Amino acid sequence: MRQDTQKLRTVNEEELTALKKRIDLAIGVIILFLAILIARLWNLQILKGPEFATLSENNSVRIRDISAPRGNILDRHGRLIITNRPYFNVVWFKEDAPVPDEVIQKLSPILKEDISTLLTRIREAAGQPRYIPILLKEDIPWSALIYIENHRLDLPGVRVEVVPSRNYKYSNLASHLVGYLGQISKKELQSSQYQQYKGGDQVGKMGVEKRFEETLRGEKGRRYLEVDVHGFEQQQLKHIDPLPGNDIQLTIDVDLQKTAEESMAGKAGTVIAMEVNSGRLLAIASTPELKIDKFIGGIPIDIWQEHLDDPLHPLINKTIQGVYPPGSTYKIVTALAGLSEKVITPKTIFYCSGSYSLHGRRYGCWKSGGHGAIDLKRALAESCDVYFYITGQKLGIDTLAKYAKSMGLGEKTGIPLDHEKSGLVPTSDWKKRQKKESWQEGETLSAAIGQGFNLTTPLQICCLTAATVNGGILYQPQFIESITDPEGSILQQFTPVKTGEVLGSHAYLDIIKKGLIEVVNDKHGTGIKAKLDNIVIGGKTGTAQVVRLSKFKNVPDDEIPYRYRDHAWFTSFAPADNPEIAVTVLVEHGGHGGSVAGPIAKQVLEKYFELKNKQPEQ
Amino acid sequence: MLRFDRRLLQNFDWLILLFVITIATMCLMNLYSATYPNISRGTPVYIKQLYFFIMGFGLILVIISLDYRIFLNLNYILYTCIILLLLYALLLGRIQAGTQRWIDLGFFNLQPSELAKLTLVITLASYYSRKHTEEGFDLRGLIAPIGLTLLPFLLILKQPDLGTALMLGFIFVSMTLFVKLKWQTLTFLLGVCGSLIPIAWKFILKPYQRQRIETFLNPESDPLQSGYHIMQSKIAVGSGLTFGKGYLNGTQGHLDFLPERHTDFAFSIWAEEWGFVGSLFFLAVYFSMILWGLNIASSSRDKFGTLLCIGVVSLIFWQAFINLAMVMGIMPVVGMPLPLFSYGGSSLITTMAGIGIMMSVRMRRYQVPG
Repeated sequence: MRQDTQKLRTVNEEELTALKKRIDLAIGVIILFLAILIARLWNLQILKGPEFATLSENNSVRIRDISAPRGNILDRHGRLIITNRPYFNVVWFKEDAPVPDEVIQKLSPILKEDISTLLTRIREAAGQPRYIPILLKEDIPWSALIYIENHRLDLPGVRVEVVPSRNYKYSNLASHLVGYLGQISKKELQSSQYQQYKGGDQVGKMGVEKRFEETLRGEKGRRYLEVDVHGFEQQQLKHIDPLPGNDIQLTIDVDLQKTAEESMAGKAGTVIAMEVNSGRLLAIASTPELKIDKFIGGIPIDIWQEHLDDPLHPLINKTIQGVYPPGSTYKIVTALAGLSEKVITPKTIFYCSGSYSLHGRRYGCWKSGGHGAIDLKRALAESCDVYFYITGQKLGIDTLAKYAKSMGLGEKTGIPLDHEKSGLVPTSDWKKRQKKESWQEGETLSAAIGQGFNLTTPLQICCLTAATVNGGILYQPQFIESITDPEGSILQQFTPVKTGEVLGSHAYLDIIKKGLIEVVNDKHGTGIKAKLDNIVIGGKTGTAQVVRLSKFKNVPDDEIPYRYRDHAWFTSFAPADNPEIAVTVLVEHGGHGGSVAGPIAKQVLEKYFELKNKQPEQ
Repeated sequence: MLRFDRRLLQNFDWLILLFVITIATMCLMNLYSATYPNISRGTPVYIKQLYFFIMGFGLILVIISLDYRIFLNLNYILYTCIILLLLYALLLGRIQAGTQRWIDLGFFNLQPSELAKLTLVITLASYYSRKHTEEGFDLRGLIAPIGLTLLPFLLILKQPDLGTALMLGFIFVSMTLFVKLKWQTLTFLLGVCGSLIPIAWKFILKPYQRQRIETFLNPESDPLQSGYHIMQSKIAVGSGLTFGKGYLNGTQGHLDFLPERHTDFAFSIWAEEWGFVGSLFFLAVYFSMILWGLNIASSSRDKFGTLLCIGVVSLIFWQAFINLAMVMGIMPVVGMPLPLFSYGGSSLITTMAGIGIMMSVRMRRYQVPG
C-alpha cells in the first residue's frame, strides 16, 4: 500500500493536467451525443409526432386471446361424455367505437336480445381495461353470424369470435357430477384463484368442471394483430397456439349411469353404484337432472327460474348435499354395535309384540301385529323395530354413535366435489351443546332405528354398505379414473384411498351380511322386490319418516301430501358370496323403501351384471 | 486511512445524490406504469426495483466510507473473482432466454457480466495509473490492458451477450484514449479494429445478432422481430408529442407490444407518457449527472481517481447513449439497459457502486494522498 501511494505522490502534475484537458474534450463529445439524442427526439415527437400519434391510435397492435380447447370428459370405457364444439360469440371492443348506442340498437334484433340486456353486459364490464372485449352474446346461430359478417361496416367494434364450447354427448347425463360452465363473475375475477382469467372467460361453476378447472382449462393462445382505424385486422403479426386442456376419464359407466337415471324418472332422489373394494363410482345420479345442455352460453333466466321453482329441487345434488334420516338402513350400525359390545349375540331372541314401552310411552314397530319371538337375522330381514329398540337401549346413545362414526357417518366421505354435507350423528354431548338439554332415553330408541336426530347423505350409506361387506374398510368414493395430457400420457391414475376402518370384528360383519342377504331372499324379507333372477344379492330397506303426524296414520301413501311422505331407502350389495358392487337408492318422499327403492336398485344391479357379462373382465 | 475526517462530510457530494434520487423516482414511476395493470403474481417489479435501489444506496454508504485508493490493490482480487464468476455462469448458470448469464442467488439472479464492467473500469484505472510514460503508451504497454479486457470480453460473448461484451470494448477504448498514446499506436489500433469488423460479422456474431443489424438497416424486411420492435418503439416515442399522453395512459406501452418494455425499452414508455418536455427533463437530469461525473474526474487529486471517474462515466454514458439511440430507432437492437432506469438488479447495483466510487473520489479531493 505504501509503495503504491508513494508512486501516486510522484505522479507528474503535468500528466494530471493533460488528463484533465482531455476531460474538457470528453465533455464536448458527450454534449454532441446529447444533441444527437435531442435532435432525434425533436424529429420523432415534434416533427413526425402527429404522424406517429395517428399510427399509434389507428395502426396499433391488438392482442387477441385464442381460447384453449377444454379437456374432454370420458367414461370408464373411454366414451366421450363431454367434448367441445365451436361457438360463435359476439363481442364488442370499446376501443374501436366510442358510441355504442346505435350499434346496440342495430344488434338487438339480430341477436334477439333486449337493448337493456346488452347495455347491462357493457356496464358490468366497465372496469375492464379498454382492450379487453366485452361479450355481448354467446353461441349465435349461423344466420346471425352471416348477417354480422356481411354488415361489418355498419357495426364498428363488433366482432365475432370463435370459441370452443362444451358439447354434451349424452345431454344431461350425470349433470350434477360433471357440472357446467358459465361466464366468470366479477367476484371470481377478483379472487386470487382466477388471476389469469379475463372478463368473458368460461369457467367451471360446479362439479368436475369446477373442481378440476385447472386440469381442464389448458392455456390460452394469443394473436398479435395490426388493426386499422375501424378496428379491422390488417395483418397478423404473431401467433401463439393455445394449449389444450387435459382429459379426464371418469370411473362412471355411461350405460349404468343412464339406467340409474332412467330408473329414477319422475322421482327426486339419488342412485349410487360403487365398487366395494376400491371406492370407484360406476354411477352417481341425482334427480331431477340439471339441464346443463341448456346452460351453454349463459343460463337463460327462464330456465334458471324453472330449476328454482321445481318442487323436486334439481339444483341440489342429493347424493352429497341431501341429508335424510337413515331409517332402517341404520340397523346395520345398531346390529354391529350390539354384537361388538356383546349386548346381543346372533342367538339373542327378543319378543316383538308390535310395540315397546319405555317410561310409560309406547314405541311402535312398523308391523303393528308384532314379529313375535325374533332373532337378529330375522330382525334384520324383516326390519323389526322392537329388536333394535332393545339393543339400542342396552347400548346407549354414545356407544351407538361411536360405531356410527367408525362406519363413516357424521363425516364427509371426502369425494372431491364441493358442498358435501357431513350429516349428523347425535350424542349426548352434542345435544347438551346444541339444544341445551340432556339426552332422553326414548331418543336412543329412535336413534337405534335411524330416526330422531340422525341425518346421513346417501353417499355415506353407500360407503357404509360397502364397508359392511368388504371386511370393514371405508374407501373414499372417487370418480376420476385417470387424467391424461393432450399427447395421451397419463398424469394421474386412480388409486384407492382408505379413509377408515370399521370398529368390531369381521365375524360380526359376516353375521350382519347374512341377515342382509335374508332381507332380499327370505319370503318375509322387506327387500324381496329387489331380488334378482340369477344372482343372489343382499341389502337393507329403509323408510325414513319425515314427520310423525297422527292425522296421516292409516292414510294411504298417495293421499298424504308429497312433502310429508316418507323417504324410501334401499342399499344393497352383490353378488352375495363375493360382493363387488354396492348400490344405494334414495327416493325422496317415495314411501316404502322395499317397494319403491328396492326395484330401482334391482334394475341397476341387473344392468351392472348384464354389462359385466358383455365385457370380459380386464 | 479509515480515520474519520471532518472534511469528508463537508465534501459529501449532495448534488450527484440528488441526481440519482431524481432518476430513481422517475424509474420507479415508470416501472409502475410499464407493468400496469399488474396482473402477475408475486412482488411487482417496481417494488423489487425499489429494494434494489435501497440495496444500492446501502452499497454507496459502504463505498464512500472507504478510501477509493484501496481498489488500487484490490483490483486483481476483484478481477479474478469476476472471471471465476463468469466461468461459473457459463458452465452452470441458469439458462434463461437461451443465454447463460445468470447465477441464481435465491433472492435475485446475479448477472456477473454486469459486475465485470465495473471491475474492468477499476482494473484499467489501476493499471494506467501505475504505469508512467513520458511519450505515451506504445503497443507493448497496451498488451496487458488488451489482455485484461479480452478475457472477460470473450467469456461474455460466449454467453452470448453481445451488448455487454461491446460495452467492455467501449470502456477499454474510452479509458485508453484518455491516457497518452503514441500516434503510431493509435493509428495501428484503429486499423486493426477496422479490419476486425468484417471478421466479427462472419465468425463471431450469432445469426440472430446479424439479423438484428440487418433489420436495423432494412426494417421492412422483418416486421415481426427486431424491426417490429424498433417500429413500435418509435411509434411509442413519437406519439408522445410535446406533452405526452399522460401518466399511465400510454396506449402503446400497455398493449404488450414490447416484450422488454420494463427493461431495455423502459424509456419508450417514459417518452410516450411524458412527451418531448418530459423526455428533455429526463435527459437534462441524466446528462447533468454524467457531466458532473467528469467534473469529479477533473477535481481529483490523483490520476487513479480521475481514471476511475472517467471509467464509471464512460460505463454509464455509453450504455445510456446506446440504449436511448436504440429506443429512438437510430441504432440496432442490442441488449443494453439504461443504467438506473431499466429494471434489473445487477445493472442497478453495478451502476450504484460506480456512483459510490465517484462520490468517494469527490469526498477525498482535498486529501493529500497517503
